[in-house]
Amino acid sequence: MTRLAALLPRGDRRVLVVYALLLLTSLAILWSVTEPLRGPYNLTEADVHKGVFWRQVLWVAIGWCAMAGTARLPLRHLANLAWPGYAVTVLLLLVVLVAAPEVAGARRWIPIGPFRLQPSEFGKLACIVLLASFLSSRANPRSPARTAGTALVLILVPMMLVMREPDLGTSLCYLAIWLGMVFWYGISGLFLLTAGSLVASAVIMFYSESVAAIAWPWGIYLLLLMGVLYLSRLSMLTSVLVLVLNLVSGLGIPLIWDHFESYQQSRILTFFDPSRDATGTGYQAIQSRVAIGSGGLFGTHYLQGTQKGLAFLPERHTDFIFSVVGEELGLVGALLLLAMFLVLILQAVEIALTVRRPFTSLMAVGIASYFAFHIVVNVSITTGLMPVTGLPLPLVSYGGSNILVSSLMVGLLLNISGRQYDA
Amino acid sequence: MAFDSALAWRGRVLRGVIILVFAIIVLNLGVLMIVRHDQYKAQALDNRQVSFRMRAPRGRILDRLGATIADNRFYADITISPGSLKEGRPDSTLDRLLTWFSLPRAETLADLTKQKERGRGRLVLVPDASMARIAAVEERRADLPGVQVESRLVRRYLFGQLFAHLVGYVGEVDQDEIDKAPPEMDYKQRDFIGKQGVEAAFEKTLRGKPGLKLEEVNASGRIVGRESVWLQPVVAGEDLRLSVSVPLQMEMSRLLAGRPGCGIAIAIPSGEVLAAASSPTFDPNIMLASLSEKDWRALADDPAKPFFNRILQATYPPGSLYKAITSLAALRAGVIDTSSVLAPCSGGYRFGSRVFRCWNHGGHGSLNLTGALAHSCDVYYYQVGLKLDIDTLHDAAVAFGLGDDCTGVFREESGGNVPTSAWYNERLGKGGWNRSVLLNNAIGQGELLVTPLQMALLAARIASDGRVTGPVFVHGGAPPKELPPLPFSRQDLAWCRHALRRVVDAGTGGAARAAGVPVAGKTGTAQNPHGDDHAWFMCFAPAHNPEVAVAVILENAGHGGSQAAPVAGEWLKFYFEHGPDGQVLPDTTAAPDTTGGVS
Repeated sequence: MTRLAALLPRGDRRVLVVYALLLLTSLAILWSVTEPLRGPYNLTEADVHKGVFWRQVLWVAIGWCAMAGTARLPLRHLANLAWPGYAVTVLLLLVVLVAAPEVAGARRWIPIGPFRLQPSEFGKLACIVLLASFLSSRANPRSPARTAGTALVLILVPMMLVMREPDLGTSLCYLAIWLGMVFWYGISGLFLLTAGSLVASAVIMFYSESVAAIAWPWGIYLLLLMGVLYLSRLSMLTSVLVLVLNLVSGLGIPLIWDHFESYQQSRILTFFDPSRDATGTGYQAIQSRVAIGSGGLFGTHYLQGTQKGLAFLPERHTDFIFSVVGEELGLVGALLLLAMFLVLILQAVEIALTVRRPFTSLMAVGIASYFAFHIVVNVSITTGLMPVTGLPLPLVSYGGSNILVSSLMVGLLLNISGRQYDA
Repeated sequence: MAFDSALAWRGRVLRGVIILVFAIIVLNLGVLMIVRHDQYKAQALDNRQVSFRMRAPRGRILDRLGATIADNRFYADITISPGSLKEGRPDSTLDRLLTWFSLPRAETLADLTKQKERGRGRLVLVPDASMARIAAVEERRADLPGVQVESRLVRRYLFGQLFAHLVGYVGEVDQDEIDKAPPEMDYKQRDFIGKQGVEAAFEKTLRGKPGLKLEEVNASGRIVGRESVWLQPVVAGEDLRLSVSVPLQMEMSRLLAGRPGCGIAIAIPSGEVLAAASSPTFDPNIMLASLSEKDWRALADDPAKPFFNRILQATYPPGSLYKAITSLAALRAGVIDTSSVLAPCSGGYRFGSRVFRCWNHGGHGSLNLTGALAHSCDVYYYQVGLKLDIDTLHDAAVAFGLGDDCTGVFREESGGNVPTSAWYNERLGKGGWNRSVLLNNAIGQGELLVTPLQMALLAARIASDGRVTGPVFVHGGAPPKELPPLPFSRQDLAWCRHALRRVVDAGTGGAARAAGVPVAGKTGTAQNPHGDDHAWFMCFAPAHNPEVAVAVILENAGHGGSQAAPVAGEWLKFYFEHGPDGQVLPDTTAAPDTTGGVS
């Protein structure tokens, strides 16, 4: 038993267990997705081929090895690889834009033999390492805001390249990683709160007014902001100032927006949401909500979801795999899955708090940001809280790049936690 | 470093934010999966349950002995989605089908393009496909996306053109018919509806009721459920057993020999129509097949008008057949009796400044009413007409079923025209007409118009003392519209039958003696402003105990006695050799005519 345990990577046991459980969940759900629907139906095979399941088994095995390998690597030289890794990422992203074949209106993958490499996924890892290296080398800065600004420029380069693919979801992930790490680095909470709230106010107003044509989400946002301001124990004057700035940025958006011609508005909307024109995105969002909602408390039971089994739910093995969990395993299953993810993220934060080296601590927060962004946005898309944009559920959705990058992140996290008492 | 100082605080904030966001997600999940669970569950059910409408098989149409006149056959088109036309690649579905079925590539593609331009939903690749081809497609379903076998039942008329006008035909319902039909009939695009004849008149009986079946389907619409639920059962259309007899109809059709005209026979006293042939005719099966524009034009432009229903749509002046009505009207009015001898006929009659001629330019001399009817003397009837008024004459005609639809169920039926004084006042103005119209009306000319069916009914009602109250089309059925009893005395009607027998025995209708039994009848030669006279004959036989009444018209054929009477006589001969059911089939007509059918 101890000998077997020795084969397992060192590091945080909870992260390892959750990681293993998530991979098993992925295989279980993909088995269901590739099985014919159980019930009074004349079906001999599922529309998603069984090969998808077996390939995922292969990816899980490769992912586990990658995780175990990363967990044992000596971390000493990782900081030296930060800049070369960043350069390779940018280069590959340029190659994608120039030379990659177009698939469904987007250039995202470089074909390598039977596989397709998605540089934007690996770029996230490179950016986490680079930002951790860059920010930790500037510990004790004279101007934290300026360091944060430089870091933003660094992250904007790959981010804009990814946005051009186009892949809005993935590019926003870069921003989330930057935000989390810069916050951890020590930028003033007030600065972050003010800047973040202004952007949030504008985005929420823009989204609800011009995309959904409703106004109440912005009102709810303002109420939430007031609550946060109160809890932050800021001075009355500062709180009112932040609130007024939010009002200006929120109410300014429709005024500016109305000055655009309709074709300009349309172009802007399409830029932010490339799938807006494609027929069927509304269909995806509706069918996903129907799948989840019809699951109820305990679900339709494993292998028996009709939204999944009769192919009403699109992308059920990739971006909408959470909807399958909701449909077949119900609220109970969905909450269990979310709980596993929450444990993973909170453990990453815990590790970031316990390790003493800024470089590793920042990496742990970057990894936490990566998982938090992917999980929150993916689940929000499947439940209709956010517009549809392609983004996989880490460790669960089908796909090599997803499994591999997430495994590397988990391996890195285990590596960091295993050395928490290192100097 | 700035890093250490507030780390614990930042940790709390970060955890707080993460937990807050997860809480929002969980809250939203709760709303979706608990609060709105029923709504989404219903939506998921609605997604996969599709109700399919199943058309009812149309009832068959049979003759009086049960021989099938019209039934249904299985018909299937192999169709492709309009989108598959775009991909002309060699490995495309369309291309594979072209190879399998060895269809001429260029022509087929041109035809499909034409269909697409016409905006039909699915494109018919193989119309009326053979079972072998259907099986080939069904076997390879999975490899043929977008290909469907669309099958349905289509009408088949087994005797081809024999019953074209009486039975009519069905066709796909048009928007106008959908809008006009009562909602409970539930017509949908591509349903069949009776367009003409019995098919239209008995639509309600024949059609049945479409059913609704609930099936489970997958996202691409394929039925995958193992069980289906009937929301509404299919009610098959009822078979309709007509009163006509196939052999009697064949004989009538044979005797008309393609000449424009019509022959109708009505059984006495049931009123059942035993034969009703309109000539020339067409094959109703072509209405359900793709007929070339050229062939269609040839039929539609034929001057003999094969589509024209001469049984109850065409109207003609009744000519001398009407003299039977004029006689009975005069007897009832008491202006003459059967022995009245009026001014002798010298070939013409002067009324005012105008001379009205008798058909016999040599004149008939002195005649009583019986003689006048037997020899069809116009001059005698001019004088009878002048003793009457126009409305008295009208009332007598209406009692026999003239002047209005005599069935009321056929879409194409004409009522004809029997003028009244009010009608003349309206047409010509008060004082715009005089008693000279009585001269024309008395001999069945002028503005009078009747259908051949009305003349057959006239003969049947005279023969049966009015017991035949209307034509009956269904075996053992009642007339769709019943006429009141005749207002004439039994003696007057008996005299009329006697006089009509004289027409055949010693008058103008001698040719009808071919029947081999005593026949009573009346010839007519209707003047036709558009061309040669129409030849009329109506009769019943046996004269003393009538079983059957016949009316024949041959357009532009001249004298009724020489042209129409022989047709009636020959038909009666056949009838009395074979009986009302015509059981004994002559060899020459034994095989049903299906040559014109859709193979």
